[in-house]
This record gives sequence, structure tokens and C-alpha cells, in this order.
Amino acid sequence: MRYRYREHLIRGICLLGMLQLAACSSVETVAPYDRGYLAEEGMLWDESPRNAKLKGHVYTSKEASSGGAGSAGGGCGCN
Amino acid sequence: MAQAQPEAAVAATKLPAQSQLPYPSPLMKRLGAPLLALPAYQAGTALADAPPAFTEVGLRYTHYSEDSIDQDVVIFGATDRYDIDVTQLWIEAPVGASWSVALDVQNDYQTGASPWFVGAQQDGAPGVIMSGASIQDNRVEVGVTTRYFWADGNAGFAVSHSDEDDYEASALAFDASWNTADDARTWSTSFSSSRDTLNPTQGVIPVFITEEDLDTQSGYFGVSQILSRTAIARIGLSYTLSEGYLSDPYKLRDQRPDTHERLSLSAGYRRFLIGSDASLQIDYRYYADSWGTDSHTVEVAWAQNLPGSLLTPYLRYYTQREADFFGVIANTDAQYYADDYRLSSYGAVTLGARWAVALGESWTLELEAERYMTDADWGVFDGAAAPALVDFWRGTVGITWRFD
Repeated sequence: MRYRYREHLIRGICLLGMLQLAACSSVETVAPYDRGYLAEEGMLWDESPRNAKLKGHVYTSKEASSGGAGSAGGGCGCN
Repeated sequence: MAQAQPEAAVAATKLPAQSQLPYPSPLMKRLGAPLLALPAYQAGTALADAPPAFTEVGLRYTHYSEDSIDQDVVIFGATDRYDIDVTQLWIEAPVGASWSVALDVQNDYQTGASPWFVGAQQDGAPGVIMSGASIQDNRVEVGVTTRYFWADGNAGFAVSHSDEDDYEASALAFDASWNTADDARTWSTSFSSSRDTLNPTQGVIPVFITEEDLDTQSGYFGVSQILSRTAIARIGLSYTLSEGYLSDPYKLRDQRPDTHERLSLSAGYRRFLIGSDASLQIDYRYYADSWGTDSHTVEVAWAQNLPGSLLTPYLRYYTQREADFFGVIANTDAQYYADDYRLSSYGAVTLGARWAVALGESWTLELEAERYMTDADWGVFDGAAAPALVDFWRGTVGITWRFD
């Protein structure tokens, strides 16, 4: 039972692989002078990194999951 | 919830007129990169490959409040659950032409009661025995991050220490991100290591250990890619290994394996909608671990530019499968067992909104509120309903000051 999670992981990798293929298939070359919209505040992966850190901390302490692109456990008792 | 975005800014030579908020500190944006995917960090993003041009000082206060547990499912003990007050203070500044440094201090003060174990009520239904009298605890975390910048990337090193009455943790972390020649793609990686020591408080409820240790190592690798002049995407994989004492000493029936492997795959997408002057944000995470748990997390947000501010309502959905050794009433005859509701199958919905307001050129006010709701029937995985699922409110107010 301990390594059953790897089956789930393979399914996840397949799913994300398909997403990545879909994304890459539509990549456009964007000149540096034409990237202004990408620098909008709302385009950041996290508008407020310290807020994201706190949110991740809260979710991690109340859910079984952690990690990914920005939330993980550890560092406190959190019970 | 995080990652690097140098590609978005390395090339951001034309800043749209709509954005009126002071720009986020490059240092903290970088922390979002791979580094914040690790236990020692937990959040962030990245921007141009140059140190911040200003010094930033910030203060944030957060109140977290769990709903009282339903009296109908309590066999004995208090029904009030945790309330936590969190204060965050930080300063970050450039050092020379290629370095920056940041100091973060966080204080958490918590009070309340938590489930001790689950038994059977007179009618046979599961019922919770709470920890009884209210528990009080205070945690202080201090972290220092230094970062070096070069033309095509940056690298950071961080050290942090967390101390509370019954728990002490120290962590080291390293991260790096580098851009391709056209700055359209950014590769990111990070590693962290932490050492935790538990000294459970004896008194309110009986605990059966005096001191235990936990070691955690974690790694992340990811890539982000500009898709068009208005869209960017990312994908990442993280792996975490914890070895040591992983049970909850404050639960009567809790015996977990001493090894925990965790894998998560994450993906994110941002699209700016010119006509609406807003950004669509979509994030997804798939998680699986060696305890038999796996989960899906989806978060969708809409970041709307307003005069002098940015309003971002968001919706998050989370669902998880129960751990192999979870039981609504723990089976103590098994090698491993737990009745912790956090290891059960359920679904959760979070509704929230964040509002960042520019106050002149140097100050930013930040407000956020969210409601987190759980229900065993909202999940997509099978499993019996745990009686102590938690709902909570969280509210945050913060102020940031930037100066040369």
C-alpha cells in the first residue's frame, strides 16, 4: 500500500503532460517590447508572496496535502 | 501557489498604464519561484534579474478563526476550536549591485481546543472527545534570505528558525532560476532541508512522548513559458521526504509510519484580458503520497484592475482521498492507525477576495478575507465522513512602505 501513490502520480504526470503539450502548441514569439501585459500585477503567480506563504501554511495544517508550486508543510506543529 | 516569472518582467519594457500599484519587490517575487514551493518557504514569484531598486518594510496582521464543532458530534469537551493571531514583519533591501537581503519575522498566538480522539456515541454514531480546556501556544519564526543576481538568472540562500512551546524547527534552502536566451522560458529549481524537534506539552491531555525528531528534505523543478503577449503558463514537480516522528502527540489514537514521501505536480496559467483590464488566474495541483492519500486542488481567480487598486476574488476547490490507515474510529489493532479528520476523504471550498490599494507612491494597503468550508459529500473520493471536519474564516490587513 505504501507505494500506491505512484500509480496516482503517473496519472497526474499524463494529465499535466497533455496540458503542457496543449500549451506549447500555441506558443507565440513575443518581442521584449510587447510584454507589458505580462508584467501586470494580476499576471504574477502570487500577487503577495507573503500572503501566499501564510495561506499555504493554513491549508497545509488543515489538509493532508502539501507541496506543489508554493505550499508545503513543515516548520511548525500546526496541530 | 507560486513560482518564477522572470520571463514576464525581464522583458517587460512597456509597462501598461492601467497598473497603478507599486511594483512588488523583485526579491519576494523571486521567492515565489521554486524556493517557495519548499517547506522552508511556501510561496512566491519572480521578476527581473536585478536587485530591488528600493528598500521595503511591511507589516501584516491575520486573524484565523475556526467554527465551533457541532455539539451533536461531541461526546465530551469544549466545542470552541482554534483562533490564531498572526503578525508578519519584514524588511528587504538591495546590497551592492548584485545582491539583496531580506529579514522576515512572524509571530503566531493560538488558543482553543482540538479533537483528542473519536469514539462511539450511545446511538453508535461516531463522536468526538475534545482536548478539554483551551490550549494556548505562541510561535515565533525568523528567516533571512540572501540573493545574487546575474544577467540571465538569480540564486538565493535562506535560513529560518521557528520556535514554540512544544516545537522547534530549523531549515536551510537554496534555489536558482535561469532564463533562456530569448527570455521567454524560465527554468527553476530548489532544495531545502529542515530539522524539527517536538517536545509535547504535558498537562491538558496525556501525551506519551517527551522528545522526538523529524527530518525533511525537499526538491522542486519547474519551468514557465510565455505563450503569447497576454498569456503565460508553468508546470512543476516537487518531491518531499520526511523521516522521523510523524504522529500527532496530542491525539490518543494516532500511530503513523515514520516515513512520508510526498509528490506533487502543479500547473498554472495566467491570461490578461485587455478589454476587461483584468487577469484570469488558474492553478491546479495534483498530490499523492506514500500514505495512500492523493488530492486535486483547483483555484481560479479574477484580478480586476481598478483606479489605484487591484481587486482579486477567488474560488478554490480541494478534494482528498483518505490515508490507508485512517478510520473514523481508529483501529488500534492495526500497525498504523489514526482518526485525524485531516486524513479523511472530503471536499473543501474556499471563497475569498484580496484588495490591494495604492496609497500614494510609496505605500500599499492590503486587505483579504476568505471562508473555508468542508463537507465529506463534496469530495470525489470514497470514504466515511469524519465528524470533526473544520470550517474557518481568515482575515488579513497589511501595509507596505517602499523607499530609496
